[in-house]
Amino acid sequence: MSDPSQPPHWKQDFPIRWDDDAYITRREFTKFLGLTSLAFLLGTLWAAASRWTKMTKARQFRPAQVAGVEEIPVGGYKLFRYPTPEDPCILLRLGPEKFVAFSQLCTHLVCPVHFQPSSRRLICPCHDGHFSAEDGRPLAGPPQRPLASWAVHLRDGKVWVQPLPEKA
Amino acid sequence: MSPQTRLRNRISIVLNMVMAFVIMILLAQLWLFTVALEVIQPPEGSPSIVVAILLCSAIGCGAVWALIRFFLKTEKNQ
Repeated sequence: MSDPSQPPHWKQDFPIRWDDDAYITRREFTKFLGLTSLAFLLGTLWAAASRWTKMTKARQFRPAQVAGVEEIPVGGYKLFRYPTPEDPCILLRLGPEKFVAFSQLCTHLVCPVHFQPSSRRLICPCHDGHFSAEDGRPLAGPPQRPLASWAVHLRDGKVWVQPLPEKA
Repeated sequence: MSPQTRLRNRISIVLNMVMAFVIMILLAQLWLFTVALEVIQPPEGSPSIVVAILLCSAIGCGAVWALIRFFLKTEKNQ
């Protein structure tokens, strides 16, 4: 027999009182939708500002000499840092006159990629991501985006890199 | 059914349609935001795409606020 002075069990299981229950009117909900819309707009604005900042920074990067032409054999590579000392990159020599440069950071989870000359692929050892050494596009594994690349120029027997021209 | 009740029912339908439209615009804005996030990842997309996305999102936001204003006004007069 339960004690009448004690609250029933169902009240202990569902302790929310009607007075304390949050009641949201349709008007309040509509206002909340307005704020959600504003939040999406602000998020998009942040993305646009981020893109603009990156573009402005990229314009400031000057071409850099990263190696001598004879320094790297065909099928070889050289690691360098560009445009800042915190950005590891890899320069590949795919042919006598063909050099390509990519960021060394995998577009999956930013592990450094390594060049495998036999398959002409850049391979990320963390999750076995494969990228084409020709253009940096993802070929296998989890990465979905191509590696960031740099424009390469040969001048006076030296290899120079610089940002790719901005897309219109 | 009295004319007043009929009018109230019609207004209620309009309000529901407005609400559905607002939610549709919000979903479109969410999609635009995901596209904007995609564009800023390397290799970055064209800046004109970002501007177009921003413009569409601003128009969507303006439309949502106008519809909400209409909604609140109509509901109050209902």
